[in-house]
Amino acid sequence: MAEARQVPEVAAPAVAQGNAAYAWPTHPTYMGTDVQRIDGPDKVTGRAKYSYDIQRPNMLYGRIVRSPHPRARVVAIDLTMARQAPGVKAALAVVEPNAILMFQGEEVAAVAAATEEQARDAARLVKVQYEVLPPLTSVEQAMSPDAPKVFPDGNVREGAAEETGDLAAGFKAAAHVVEQTYNTQVQTHVSLETHGCVCEWDGDKLTAWVSTQAVHGTREGFAQALKIPQANVRVITQYMGGGFGSKFAPDAQGIICANLAKQAGAPVHLMLDRKEEHLATGNRPSAYAKIRAGVSADGMLTAFDAQTWGTGGAGVGAGFPLPYIYQFPNRRRQHKDVYINAGGARAMRAPGHPQGCFITEVLMDELADLVKLDPVDFRMKNLPPDAPDARWRAYFPIAAKLFGWDKRHPTGDATPGPIKHGFGCSANRWGGGGRGSHAHCEILPDGGVIMRCGTQDIGTGTRTLVSIVTAETLGLPIDAVNTEIGDSLYPFSGGSGGSTTAASVTPAIRVTAVKALDALKAKVAPKLGVPPADLVASDGRLHARNDRAKGMTWKEACRTLGAEPIAVDGEWQPGLSASGTSGVQMAEVEVDTETGVSKVTRLVCVQDCGLIVDKLTAESQVIGGVLFGVNYALFEDRILDRNTGQMVNPNMEWYLIGGPSDVPEITAHLVDQPERGVIGLGEPPAVATAAAIANAIANATGVRLRSLPMTPDKVLAALEQQRAGGTR
Amino acid sequence: MKVTITVNGTPYTRDVEPRTLLAYFLREHCGLTGTHVGCDTSSCGCCVAVLDGQTAVKTCTMFAVQADGHEILTVEGLAAGGALHPIQQAFSDQHGLHCGYCTPGMMLTTVALLKHTPAPTEAQIREGLAGNLCRCTGYNNIVKAVQQAADVLRQPAAATK
Repeated sequence: MAEARQVPEVAAPAVAQGNAAYAWPTHPTYMGTDVQRIDGPDKVTGRAKYSYDIQRPNMLYGRIVRSPHPRARVVAIDLTMARQAPGVKAALAVVEPNAILMFQGEEVAAVAAATEEQARDAARLVKVQYEVLPPLTSVEQAMSPDAPKVFPDGNVREGAAEETGDLAAGFKAAAHVVEQTYNTQVQTHVSLETHGCVCEWDGDKLTAWVSTQAVHGTREGFAQALKIPQANVRVITQYMGGGFGSKFAPDAQGIICANLAKQAGAPVHLMLDRKEEHLATGNRPSAYAKIRAGVSADGMLTAFDAQTWGTGGAGVGAGFPLPYIYQFPNRRRQHKDVYINAGGARAMRAPGHPQGCFITEVLMDELADLVKLDPVDFRMKNLPPDAPDARWRAYFPIAAKLFGWDKRHPTGDATPGPIKHGFGCSANRWGGGGRGSHAHCEILPDGGVIMRCGTQDIGTGTRTLVSIVTAETLGLPIDAVNTEIGDSLYPFSGGSGGSTTAASVTPAIRVTAVKALDALKAKVAPKLGVPPADLVASDGRLHARNDRAKGMTWKEACRTLGAEPIAVDGEWQPGLSASGTSGVQMAEVEVDTETGVSKVTRLVCVQDCGLIVDKLTAESQVIGGVLFGVNYALFEDRILDRNTGQMVNPNMEWYLIGGPSDVPEITAHLVDQPERGVIGLGEPPAVATAAAIANAIANATGVRLRSLPMTPDKVLAALEQQRAGGTR
Repeated sequence: MKVTITVNGTPYTRDVEPRTLLAYFLREHCGLTGTHVGCDTSSCGCCVAVLDGQTAVKTCTMFAVQADGHEILTVEGLAAGGALHPIQQAFSDQHGLHCGYCTPGMMLTTVALLKHTPAPTEAQIREGLAGNLCRCTGYNNIVKAVQQAADVLRQPAAATK
């Protein structure tokens, strides 16, 4: 069975080991400051062309016919009527008769026609005969002993138990025990630009403009699926409208698009619509945990025993880390991946971590209440030892001060009136870190600088980071650098996932720019009568280290090149990046106990990410990540009809993401760690938010929600249960 | 059906099907691809354009024929004479974008918002942009951008748009 596709975790040290030849500048001009995005003007004028915006001569529009059934056998596919429809230039079956379809939205056939409307018309004329089979629509159903065996190796895949310490002794040492079940929902990525591409063949060579987080990985994917050499494929992603982990490959729609274009002999534009996006392009798996945990009278964690499960849909795993961060000396965990007939999971912004964080942090607050300790004090007692990638002992007090944690009241806001206020906290960790990325730098005789790297900007600001590091190294203004990325013709760089892009790309750019500068210094040094090693580049000049006047302008220096530009290749080297981040979040909520509506009013995020490259984009990444977490906490939920297995909210009307009024006041406190080198920040700020909100809601209302999203109905039900004298 | 729609000051006369949506008229018939479609159901606001200089409309749920004889402003028409419109300048200055896919719709909603509410409070900005969704930024820099644009546009010498 397939695993959720994602960038593998980087095994890198937590501290940069130093790299004297290419060390980051100790007194940078741009790095660590607020640098404007270089692509801002293109994006505010409509000049930025996303894959969705690519228009080619004689371009056709493709549509995919998808299974309306969560589980069915294809009896027959008849393309005759579709082929005869107006404007149609290509039609193909994606699966053979007798194929078993395992989720609603699975690809069955496809057409391409002159207009989007004609393609939709023709798609409706594809006659597919299905034998509808009973689906597994929920984890509960899939796990029940009398469930039909839908998946060849069983509906449930049970992992090996993980066990450490002496569980019985741990529970014996416990003064209090919590026994509860926690769960998180399935979340979809909802990138505003959907998945898709434009494919164009020139003979046996394919050019594909793809909304992808990995131009090189997608090139490889096309070549493998189409059985053509990688050298015959070019993938371009100049701009893309988000990915969040769901866009690393051509996917089914990319291969279908290429095949339609081949059949039609014309370029084909095939972008998915929002419904297809929800059904077939990935999601964050659900998570369930039935936990028994113990704490000693003096507030030390003693034991943790969990059965966990979750579904990543049809044949995809649902793993997540548990327990998260805190140290239970005696613990056991048994995990099961449960398969249902729904679209498969993919990596999604810190895969597994928001689930593990929510479950553990809510449990932590329950245990803290039992031993009557403040949640922060309780956490401080049970954190792992301090390390460069584990700095929570420092961050909890910083966050508490920024937030005003000392004003927290005990669980349950005792003030009169229906609106209750509460505080909650949580912690997060993530990997990040860099690996092999390549770049090419040209310094031109007219003073121009080109930096090429086959990475891609998924929206975070990678293009700007490349310009910052190049300009910093060459002593030039940011806008003097021509940064060229987003094309598989450029030197290899990996996928933008796992918060690895900054730590992979910026060292490669640094190394390459230093090499290019060294080459220029070698040319200029004899003319200045200064040894190359004594030359430095700053403020648009190349000059002697101790005598700024002894030098020449950048343009003069470049003119000495004559007709031959400097052209050098460089690659990522160790010593400029590291791995491992830690952070703490604190949230304040107000809960209307009459309507059940929770509003997050304030949130403090203390987060490290190694050396900060651009403070402006870094802080903005935190704000965006926090809202991602607010959405996960309160709004987002992929809901399947429990009888038919069909998604009931495959749109943006009923699949909710927060709007401008749902954003709390956010304090983003970034901890700069220049000594560690670059690490990465895309994922960490999105991890801890939901847990902090959950704990704040409990602090406000006195009732504990153990299930995401924390919608008004769940708040009201918990309050009702409390009034009825139920368990808390 | 023959329609004439003035887009960014230029009349476009085209023969369209009655079902042609304004978003696709702009993108495919006029080649103006800055107007994006994000959700197809008027929830996300990526497709917003301004109708007759007054009203923010979601072009993914409006037929081209409904705009016949009207004026439409899209992102491509905001900048005048090579200079960015104060709203564009503000979104760029304040980092009111990450991936940028929602940005055209955000800015055109802002055009209509500031037309009717030239000095909005923060709450009015947030409410005024409620029909525009962003998955990346967390909105706070977008709100700052609208504040900057409102301040600039209220200056006596500001652009007349």
